[in-house]
Amino acid sequence: MDARILLVEDDPSIREITAIGLRAAGFVVETAPDGAAGLERWRRDRPDLVLLDVMLPRLDGLEVCREIRRESTVPIVMLTARGDTIDVVVGLEAGADDYVRKPFEMPELVARIRAALRRKRDTAEADASASLQLGSLTIDTAGRTVSRDGDEIALTRTEFDLLVELAQRPGQVFTRDQLLDHVWGYDYLGDSRLVDVAIGRVRAKVERDPASPELILTVRGSGYKAAR
Amino acid sequence: MRGIRTRLALALVALVAVTVLAIGVGTYLFVDARLRDGLLGEANRQAQFNLSVLVPERLPGGVTREDYANSGLREAFRLRGGVETIVDFADGDPDVSTAPLTGALAGFPTSLTSLAATGRLGFAWVDVAGQPSLVVGGRQGTGPIFYFVFPAGSIDQAIAQLRLGLLAAGLVAVALALATAGIFARGILRPVDSGSAAAARIAAGDLSARVPAGGADEFARFAAEFNRMADSLAATVARLKDSEQQNQQFVADVAHELRTPLTALVAEASIIEAGLDGLPPAARRAAELLVADVRRLRSLVEDLMELSRFDANAEQAMLEPTDLGEAIRSIVRARLPAAELHLPQTPIVVDADVRRLDRILGNVLDNARQHGGDGSVDVEVRGSGSDALVSVADRGPGVAPDALGQLFERFYKADPSRHAGSSGLGLAIAAEHAALLGGTLEATNRTGGGLAVTLRIPIATSVTGPLPGGDGGDTGSGDAGSGSDAATAPTEPARPSA
Repeated sequence: MDARILLVEDDPSIREITAIGLRAAGFVVETAPDGAAGLERWRRDRPDLVLLDVMLPRLDGLEVCREIRRESTVPIVMLTARGDTIDVVVGLEAGADDYVRKPFEMPELVARIRAALRRKRDTAEADASASLQLGSLTIDTAGRTVSRDGDEIALTRTEFDLLVELAQRPGQVFTRDQLLDHVWGYDYLGDSRLVDVAIGRVRAKVERDPASPELILTVRGSGYKAAR
Repeated sequence: MRGIRTRLALALVALVAVTVLAIGVGTYLFVDARLRDGLLGEANRQAQFNLSVLVPERLPGGVTREDYANSGLREAFRLRGGVETIVDFADGDPDVSTAPLTGALAGFPTSLTSLAATGRLGFAWVDVAGQPSLVVGGRQGTGPIFYFVFPAGSIDQAIAQLRLGLLAAGLVAVALALATAGIFARGILRPVDSGSAAAARIAAGDLSARVPAGGADEFARFAAEFNRMADSLAATVARLKDSEQQNQQFVADVAHELRTPLTALVAEASIIEAGLDGLPPAARRAAELLVADVRRLRSLVEDLMELSRFDANAEQAMLEPTDLGEAIRSIVRARLPAAELHLPQTPIVVDADVRRLDRILGNVLDNARQHGGDGSVDVEVRGSGSDALVSVADRGPGVAPDALGQLFERFYKADPSRHAGSSGLGLAIAAEHAALLGGTLEATNRTGGGLAVTLRIPIATSVTGPLPGGDGGDTGSGDAGSGSDAATAPTEPARPSA
């Protein structure tokens, strides 16, 4: 099951030591020094996960992320250099599933990568017969598709997982921490913005009017729930 | 300034009043004299005529009491201008032309009677029978002395009217002067007012305040000087700000540039740490130190970056009604589970940003852990008036009283032999976050030893009571689903229950 990871990072030292650390953790690692090369590598190798620096020469990480998203739901973890909220939000907007802040220690990075890969595997092995209904949405958990009136709606892996997590128990309130734990595999105090941004993205795709959501509701002071 | 205005007005009013008074008195005296002169001249002419023409004509053989009484002279005199007559026959029983004049002779001044007795014409202004009158007296040869009494009431009346008129005119003049003085003073003082308004704005920090300059008077010079001063002040402040900004930018740049090698270092150190057991003893100790130092460097750089974001005003709080006790409970559970928690009976709701509460408490708890010795750490949440207090108290040695205030300064080290791993910026950062929440951090020494650091933030006032779960299609919640603003936490009142 040696997962193959594509690491796109421009700084040679960081690229080399990260690759060493990931290989030591049992992954197969390919690297690329800039965005254009990274995109090329991704198209050729189709790795199981992409680890993407935000600030890249030639083609920046956000652009690479959008390009990959156009073609695939492969898990993408961004490496952000800045602590700015805006950086995190923009990365997630571009379709990243998670982000790791620089500097990072290897065990932390490895844990996040494993969590992202585990979700991918978990969902791949989900009950083949399951199909959920949320309002006018039909969610096919086996085929990992969401449709309304026969029209398919494209969701990323994380967005899909988040929608399923809520839709499986309509009416139940999930706190942001619970969602971080269940959907992202965080088992520690994480960043709740991740949840807010992802909820926003899902709403933008599945709600008729994202400004007044009818399917995914905010529970004041607590978190989110799916409409019953 | 009010003083100057009053003084200016008073001076002007006084000037006008004195002028009006002088003119009034002059006019009064002049008119009075002219009126009396006029009457006196007329009276003299008439008395002369009466004595030298009328009397000899009617009584050619000398004047005796009986002749006079029958001569009809009394009536003749009266017809010529309402003149009444007293004739003194030097026998103590003067003849009077009308009853009220009886006895009036005794009231005449001797200057009049003695002059009249010599045969020349004398006059006096006297009240006769209660009426202001002009009395002209004279005699023909050794005949009786005739006193002609001319009514002078009209003069006094005219004078009284004049006095009234002058008084009214004077009052009007003073009132006009007062009004003029006000306008005048305002005009003069307007530049002073604008000058002091500009100075007040500068004092309040608005360095763009200037005095409108114009004209060529003393105020124009003042305005020019004032504006020159303000220009140079603004330039100095701008220069200082620039250099401070450059400093802050430098720190931000340095921290940013350090981040790339630091990222490599941290990753490398974490791998070395994982392989410590495989190293020979001598290298192993060095590797351990290396790992610890890299951690220290990391926290220093990250703290510097965090502070430089505050310096650049790049930090904004996303406030959301929060159950403070619950928030603190989960933070303490994650950060320092060994701490003893004291939570309030009823939930305290504050407008806070949980991530910032986490940064504040995290740093304060770190400080307590590093300097608190082996004793327990107490964390208490309670309300105090309109504020909520979160205090973290350790059982360490505390801090010298005069150093308490410096505890939140950057790189302040109360304990020179401080623990490795802390940058000296933790409490300064915590204080910045506290300020962003509209709160403060303060440090006190505990009775019985130890340091207490207390966060004070205002209790939310906008609580509208518990809401039922779910917001349906609440468009006003600010929780738009477009994603671009989804990082803005929904603003929500208190949760229904703890």
